[in-house]
Amino acid sequence: MNGEVIRLTARQLVAQRRTLLVLLLAAGPLLLAVIYQLSAPKNDADWTQQEFTATALYGVLIVGLLLPLCSLIFGTAALGSEIEDGTAVYLLSKPIPRREILLSKLLVAWLATSAIVVTTTVVAGVVALWGAPQDGIVLGFAVGVALGALVYTAVFLLLSLITGRALIIGLSYVFIWESLITGLFQGTRVLSVREYVVGVADGISTVSPRVLDASLGAGQAVFLAAAVLVGATAFAVRRLQGFEIGEAG
Amino acid sequence: MTAPGSYNGAEPAPGPGAVIELRNVSRWYGNVVAVNDVSFDLGPGITGLLGPNGAGKSTLLHMLSGFLKPSSGSVTVLGRSAWQNPDLYGQIGLVPERESVYPFLTGREFVVTSARLQGLPDPEAAAARAIHLVEMEQHQHRAAGGYSKGMKQRLKVAAALVHNPSVLLLDEPFNGADPRQRIQMMEMFRRMAAEGCTIVFSSHILEEVERLAQQVLVIVAGRLAASGDFREIRKLMTDRPHTFRVRSSDNRRLASAFVADPAVFGVELDDDFLTVRTSDFAAFTKAAARVARDAEVTLTQLAPSDESLESVFSYLVQR
Repeated sequence: MNGEVIRLTARQLVAQRRTLLVLLLAAGPLLLAVIYQLSAPKNDADWTQQEFTATALYGVLIVGLLLPLCSLIFGTAALGSEIEDGTAVYLLSKPIPRREILLSKLLVAWLATSAIVVTTTVVAGVVALWGAPQDGIVLGFAVGVALGALVYTAVFLLLSLITGRALIIGLSYVFIWESLITGLFQGTRVLSVREYVVGVADGISTVSPRVLDASLGAGQAVFLAAAVLVGATAFAVRRLQGFEIGEAG
Repeated sequence: MTAPGSYNGAEPAPGPGAVIELRNVSRWYGNVVAVNDVSFDLGPGITGLLGPNGAGKSTLLHMLSGFLKPSSGSVTVLGRSAWQNPDLYGQIGLVPERESVYPFLTGREFVVTSARLQGLPDPEAAAARAIHLVEMEQHQHRAAGGYSKGMKQRLKVAAALVHNPSVLLLDEPFNGADPRQRIQMMEMFRRMAAEGCTIVFSSHILEEVERLAQQVLVIVAGRLAASGDFREIRKLMTDRPHTFRVRSSDNRRLASAFVADPAVFGVELDDDFLTVRTSDFAAFTKAAARVARDAEVTLTQLAPSDESLESVFSYLVQR
């Protein structure tokens, strides 16, 4: 890791307009949790606070939408925006191993994503479950999304090194693969970061399968997440080491 | 460096003091050849990389700076391969052509960041020195995103100089700089070269290269068209055949008069103008008025018709 690369990347992410979009996205689940807490009947046998939190708030909004979008925005911006605007040359023309640059970028993208998504998860969860037992749901999902953010940002960082259309391809991946295909075909869930998050959350929480029933075990989810993380990071390091900057002329 | 006025295809012998060595370097993108079998050695001093836009200058500079892998051949800087060798950047300063800078940093922060990324023991002092060198003290606390093109250019130079590199690579460094800034930067590069720095800069403007470079590499269509001492190259460029378009009150009579002039070796009579070919640019421009006066013809136009840099380079390639 390189302190100056971390500082520079953090300032870069904060200065971007996209960060404002992420903050607006994060307000969605918080608002929904507040509305639910204020208006919904709390003792409905078919839709308990725990079910609402685990399924709608976390499953759909946070894990299904906020986490991948936030990771996509920070993951592709951490290095991709510098490549796009031509400032990457200042970083890459320094006597710093490319591996160090990439890991520093990944750390910042992950911390930025986690700061927003984990905070939203905890606050929205506590609000939605106010007056009901948490049974480890909030903790489970907080840990799960932190892990998911790491895997997602590594994948999207790699994507930004492979293509100039990382944002569009990343969006397609989130909405087509993660939302559609893994929902339709059980076998594809081993390749879904979303399933890893739910698997970890399910492993930590103590709620009944009626509330949360992941298709992957916690151990399996962690193993697969680690495999994707290591694979994507190693490939990204390799990609950056052989990264070319050229102009016609 | 190859002998003055030498041409592509000649394999230079490795120079004993060579800081930069290129051996049969080519680079292609798919079917497009950007740099074609280029070899040269460069030592300390200022070398101008001259060529028209799209000639391959930037591709060459990117290979020198380790940002592009040669498709074939080898590029070594300070005895080490330039490609995939980040340690070299401790001794190389690079000024890219694109004017992008981190817009959220002030000029000062930009240079300090560069110094920190170089791992310098006192980045603040190094940045202050570099900013002083490019005379940017007055604007250093403003956000770099709001700088003019010339100021960004000087800022990029300051960031490239902050670690006192022994090799400085500059891609069109005078773009956007006003005449005063240009002179100031040229003086600074001359001082650095005198202290033993190896400076390579690209330009498509002949006068810039003439004023700054001791040595020149002429790149045309990806090939090394000529290399050596600038004066030799300049002489080749000046001594080439020149073509003038001439209009007068009586083109036919003037054509007869020009034919007798020793500086002229060809005259063509067109509908309303003459095309005159001469081997001596200076002699012809001096003689033209006298010849017209003696022939009692009024000259209405006398203009060189092949003075574009591209035509000069084409001539060098054909030689």
